[in-house]
Amino acid sequence: MTDQGETGEAITILLVEDDAPTCWRLQDALVKAGYEVRTAGTLGEARIALAAGTPRVLLTDLRLPDGHGVELIRETRRRFPDTEIMVISALGDEESVISAITVGATGYLLKDAFPTDIATTVRDLVAGHSPISASIARFIVRRTQNSAEPPPGPALNTAKLTPREIDILWGIAKGFSYAEIAGHLGLSRQTVPGHIKNIYRKLEVHTRSEAVFEAVQQGLIKL
Amino acid sequence: MSEIAAKAEIIRPRLWLARIVPYLLLQVLIVFAVLLGLDLLEPRDPDNFAVSEFSLREAGITRPVTLPQFTASRYSLADPPLYSGQFEFKADGAGTTWSVFLPRFSNGVEVAINGVTILDSRRDPTANRPDRNTPEIAMIPASLLREGGNDISVRLFVWGPLRGFLDTVYVGPDAALRAAYETRKLLFVTLPVVFSAWQSILAVILAIMWLMRRHEPVYGVLAAAMVLGVVQAFLTPPVPPAASSRLATVLLSSAPIESALIVASAVLFLGWRWPRYGVLLFVPGIIVIAGGLIAGPPLPRILFMLLGIPTVGFCLVLMAGIAAYAVFRRQDVVSIALGSAATIVLTCWAHDMLSVFEIMPNERTFVSRLSYSALLIAIGAGLTWRFARALNQVDSFAGQLVARVREAEDRLKASFAREEARARAAALANERTRLMRDLHDGLGGQLISIVALSERGQEGTSITDAARAALKDLRLVIDSMDDIGGDLMLALGSWRERAAMQLRPHDIALHWHVTTPQGLPLHPELRPWHVIQIVRILDEAVTNAVKHAAARHVTVTIETRNDGEGPYGVISVADDGSGFALGDDGEAAGASQTARGLRNMRSRARRCGAILELCTGETGTRVRLQLPQVFPDSDATVS
Repeated sequence: MTDQGETGEAITILLVEDDAPTCWRLQDALVKAGYEVRTAGTLGEARIALAAGTPRVLLTDLRLPDGHGVELIRETRRRFPDTEIMVISALGDEESVISAITVGATGYLLKDAFPTDIATTVRDLVAGHSPISASIARFIVRRTQNSAEPPPGPALNTAKLTPREIDILWGIAKGFSYAEIAGHLGLSRQTVPGHIKNIYRKLEVHTRSEAVFEAVQQGLIKL
Repeated sequence: MSEIAAKAEIIRPRLWLARIVPYLLLQVLIVFAVLLGLDLLEPRDPDNFAVSEFSLREAGITRPVTLPQFTASRYSLADPPLYSGQFEFKADGAGTTWSVFLPRFSNGVEVAINGVTILDSRRDPTANRPDRNTPEIAMIPASLLREGGNDISVRLFVWGPLRGFLDTVYVGPDAALRAAYETRKLLFVTLPVVFSAWQSILAVILAIMWLMRRHEPVYGVLAAAMVLGVVQAFLTPPVPPAASSRLATVLLSSAPIESALIVASAVLFLGWRWPRYGVLLFVPGIIVIAGGLIAGPPLPRILFMLLGIPTVGFCLVLMAGIAAYAVFRRQDVVSIALGSAATIVLTCWAHDMLSVFEIMPNERTFVSRLSYSALLIAIGAGLTWRFARALNQVDSFAGQLVARVREAEDRLKASFAREEARARAAALANERTRLMRDLHDGLGGQLISIVALSERGQEGTSITDAARAALKDLRLVIDSMDDIGGDLMLALGSWRERAAMQLRPHDIALHWHVTTPQGLPLHPELRPWHVIQIVRILDEAVTNAVKHAAARHVTVTIETRNDGEGPYGVISVADDGSGFALGDDGEAAGASQTARGLRNMRSRARRCGAILELCTGETGTRVRLQLPQVFPDSDATVS
């Protein structure tokens, strides 16, 4: 099974994972699926690899020996907006996944996922379908409900989500398939992945305010 | 006073002195101030126009007299004393009007110029009050005046028991006399009316106070006193020989009752008990009134003189004593004000008595009634002070209440925080126990089994399966700790993903049927340990389908049922595998692992209050889990 980009060239993936067996496992699954995979074990190596060439997909672990994957995601998102980013997580817990989403990742990959699932996830991602799990959807929708005290866990601003997007998230959280959700909400099944991608984009802590902040810091803008 | 003094001396002589001496000094000062004030306020009359040489014809005898002059007391208006005099008139060509001015007389006068009567004071109601010092002025018609000597005659009507009195008469240009007249009128006519108006307002206020606060008789008593005072001021006094009603006569002489009422109210105002013998204070007043009702005039007037006025004086002395004692006891402003007012009135009363008995050279100006206004002002001030103090007390009480409530609130908060901390600690301990058990049940066993498999040198799938199971369990435990707000569907959503991932490598399709969009009813009482038990039951069912039944399809159906006793959820997991043999007791026969799995499923269902039904056959196995309407609160059913 091979997967080709639009130009016919192999899709490049940068895999950043410090645990060698896990790295091999993921690499094997992706290479088997026909992707061109480069690997890095540290943040430093990852930066060098990024400088050498822009990958189509970045898969990164969060806890790296010389830094945090969140920094890498943020940098990549800023410098290479076209690169799809996914976080590799052992448990798929909200803490790590949400913090990655807020800096620009769109979804996560479980470290113990079956090889076919790994390939499918990456293929969907490249096709523009950001995967979302029930537990992440649940975390997000529960944030839209909480109003009184700031809930525990990573900060998440859900103010920009539309009621429709929240309904979709509810459906995912309750285990409904895209088709079922589309049926309940009177949508076309094909539009659901697009909504999910929008949700990810809206949850990103926005780069514009960061850009303004940095511009002010550098004296480019006077307030 | 001696009794009070004795008592106080026993307690603390120095304190007593320190308290009472400044007060007494103040009263002495007030007495002097009043005397000085009386002297200064004595109206000055235009002496240039005085006519004081008269010839008096009384009881048929004519003799020359110099005004001011007292005549004998009389009870008849027939043949009154007649004063005849002369004054010089010189026309100034400008047609200046001349008047005759009588500053003080008692009780009535009739003035005639050259034989023509121009003034009869008996027609002026206020002039008939011997206590009012009413002056009179009358313009002399120009036609009556002759160039040179003119005759003036004054008939003085006297009704006892007071002796008649005629002050110097003034005849002159109206402009020269009017000012003196106006001054006297202001002081002795207008001012008393003003004070009576004040008294009537006080009467209304006090009456309302008493109506609203019946348990405080002080207001009622004081209101009665004020009403009597107002009635006295506004009732028209009878002029002999005109007969007026006896009731009016009686009310006019109610001053002793009024003063007794004032004393009673002072006692009550200061918060003391009114002594039983205090009734005696009312006796003279009642005698005056009774006498007045039984016999007509002049008896009321005589009784009033003999009993009433001394009673008033006695009451004033009592007031002064009571106020002094109150000052000694309380040292408060109200007592001092009351005492000072009593001293002022008492001084004026003494002044009038000296005047009545002609002990002090005077012009017979009575000031007691006027000075009574000092007492009225003191009473008004006292009431206002008390009212303001009561308001302050209400405020401070409200403040105290707020402070108390806040204190109680703080205490409650503190105890609530303690309780909360305790509850939190207990919840944490429970959670830890649960987590330990969950880890022990799942992850621990699977890791041990991985260790055992590795030690036996087993390769491949069995270790992988065990490790995957361990990871799955770890995710379940983590997942179950999330707050799902009583919506089991949220937990099942995650479980669906894990189950699909588990089934996919085995080429088993997972079908998911949710019969209603809501899925399952909400259970606010749902706890993480319920979720874990339910998900483990479902896991077990799926695992059985994979391991033992060689199924191709697993169908999960989620529905909400309602048999009329409230909704409940049903989750069933069905596979199309080969099934397995069940023993007679409903337990799986043979294969020990399957049997143990089924036992576990039943026990977990029991702990959650759910009902587990299992049927298996050639066409597959179906596990039906009927959820309770309300999940049990405790894990006590663990056997």
